[in-house]
Amino acid sequence: MIKWSEEQEMVRKTVRDFVDTEIRPHREELEFGDLPPYDLLRKMFSTFGLTDSAKASFAKRIAREKAIEAGEANSDEGEGTRTRDENTVAFSVIPIIELCRVCPGMVTAMGVSMGLTASAIQAKGTIAQKERWVLDLLTLDKVGAWAITEPDSGSDAFGSMKATARRDGDEYVLNGSKTFITNGPYADTIVFICKLDEGNPAADRKVVQFVLDSGMEGLEQPKAFRKMGIHSSPTGMLFLNDVRVGRDRLLGESEEAFSGSGGREASKASFSIERTGVAAMALGIVDRCLELCIDYSREREQFGQPIGQFQLIQLKLANMAVAKMNLQNLVFSHIEMAAKNVPVSFTDASAAKLYAAQSAAAVANEAVQLFGGNGYMSEYEVEQLARDAKVLQIYAGTDEIQISQIARNLLAED
Amino acid sequence: MAMNIVVCVKQIPDPADPGELDPNTKTLKRDVKLILDEADSYGVEMALQLVDAAGGGEVTLVSMAPDDEVGGIRTALAMGAAKAVLVSDEALVGSDALGTAKVLAKAIERAGDADLVITATESSDGYTGTVPEQVAELLGLPSITFAKSIEVDGNTIKVKRQTEAGYDDVEAPTPAVISVTAGVVEPRYPSFKGIMAAKSKPVDEVTVADLGLDADAVGWAGARQEIVEIATAETREAGTIIEDEGEGYAQIVDFLADLKVI
Repeated sequence: MIKWSEEQEMVRKTVRDFVDTEIRPHREELEFGDLPPYDLLRKMFSTFGLTDSAKASFAKRIAREKAIEAGEANSDEGEGTRTRDENTVAFSVIPIIELCRVCPGMVTAMGVSMGLTASAIQAKGTIAQKERWVLDLLTLDKVGAWAITEPDSGSDAFGSMKATARRDGDEYVLNGSKTFITNGPYADTIVFICKLDEGNPAADRKVVQFVLDSGMEGLEQPKAFRKMGIHSSPTGMLFLNDVRVGRDRLLGESEEAFSGSGGREASKASFSIERTGVAAMALGIVDRCLELCIDYSREREQFGQPIGQFQLIQLKLANMAVAKMNLQNLVFSHIEMAAKNVPVSFTDASAAKLYAAQSAAAVANEAVQLFGGNGYMSEYEVEQLARDAKVLQIYAGTDEIQISQIARNLLAED
Repeated sequence: MAMNIVVCVKQIPDPADPGELDPNTKTLKRDVKLILDEADSYGVEMALQLVDAAGGGEVTLVSMAPDDEVGGIRTALAMGAAKAVLVSDEALVGSDALGTAKVLAKAIERAGDADLVITATESSDGYTGTVPEQVAELLGLPSITFAKSIEVDGNTIKVKRQTEAGYDDVEAPTPAVISVTAGVVEPRYPSFKGIMAAKSKPVDEVTVADLGLDADAVGWAGARQEIVEIATAETREAGTIIEDEGEGYAQIVDFLADLKVI
């Protein structure tokens, strides 16, 4: 893929029109007024017919899974081998890019709910569990949260995880604190990741996942944190104090669903998806920064001429254009790979994420610099984009974690 | 009762990037990428809503262009129109309002039996505002202009016709030609599915000869209207700034009284 197709261009234009008309006017409330992003996202999804297509493809998938379970279909012809139309893949990427031109936090909120949370249940849940929770997440009727990080376990997510599940008759009792949970304060459906406490040492415990609904006894969802950027993505803590759940909430209805290499592979697969998504987010941020900077370089005059005439400004613009070109190529290659069903390796996904995060943060920071005093004021968008871009270097695996993954792969012996 | 509606749409240079005027022809250069005239998107939306309300029928687009540009038509097809007739012919270059109306009238006949023909009140690049009535006259149909809402009751079209003071209730038998005021409905965004479907919707591309028209009747050859001069619009005079020191309202009253508006 070397450029957007005609249909993709139409989708870009219509999504950009929507974002400019329906979302941009709410930027102030999203940024400083604690307006949750969900109603705007729902409006976007229903406007473009995505809610209906999510319902249709979910129904098809479940029917197929039921047929496989009943022995009426062959699981070998499953999704793993199916190629997709490039447009279909691009249509899921374009809204990410376009939203990030205005409000990167909305993509985080959307991605965690429809991506991470729904995928976790889709990957390991039973058919009944999928029917109970996944569709509502895919349509955004319900808001989802995926709870892994804890106050003392960040990059070392599983190693130092303290949250526990204890068996009690036919039930489990869940305890623990989770933090930095995207959508935490508003989540209706929560995937809670913890370790099964069988009286064994913490390091030997199995990782298990449960699906919780808001309002359950013992589950607390405090209000959102104040944070540096992505204000349109509410982030909070979750507290579980003796939350009792039946086996129907244990993902896969099996304590083994997440153990062994299967669980690790599943985590890696979801990390890969998350990391390639960051390239699209970075492209949106860089694209908008460059556009604003070009306009400003033409209009802003100092020393009797537009600042674009100064070479130090030109250097910034050129560097931004290079970043945009690289990110766009990365996004094009991810679209083509997804369409051809070529998996992105974990290391390549890490490399892409590292580059995307660093270049978005660098470009947005330089955009603030190019705007000078105006750039530091929130009236000019680059200030928000610079704060928002920073998170890309931290979440979905810090830059340092990506670097160590890339290095580990380089130094691995065959 | 099914409603079949023809909507006349124009593809124009993007007003955000309009290009330039040709000093020789004194018209807008049209060799840039063309988009659907926003003024027409209201008619397309109105037509789609009327077809929905009727519970059947379809919307057909009619457009003319000197080349085979379809970018703007695709947008209207993606919104939900079923098909299009595009008159594409180099002979159309230089057509005046009446020449345009002759072509559109023939294309509307080609599109099939329409219960209603909808147009904008005027295009955003030409602004003559006369084409809808000329089309109606050529087709021998009643014409209602400046519609802010349209209701179909059997074989009668009921229109609220916008006036300076408010609106008039006007009725006409079907079929009729109705021009729709910009801004009276909210044009829908095309859905992703609609965008995918638009490419495979039929666009009947025809020439002036296909419509049985003489090439001399259209374009520069047939134009009876001439653009004599193009000039830069006068810059507006700076307004008066009144510092309000408690008596500002009196100066506003005097100002309005001078204008004889109060």
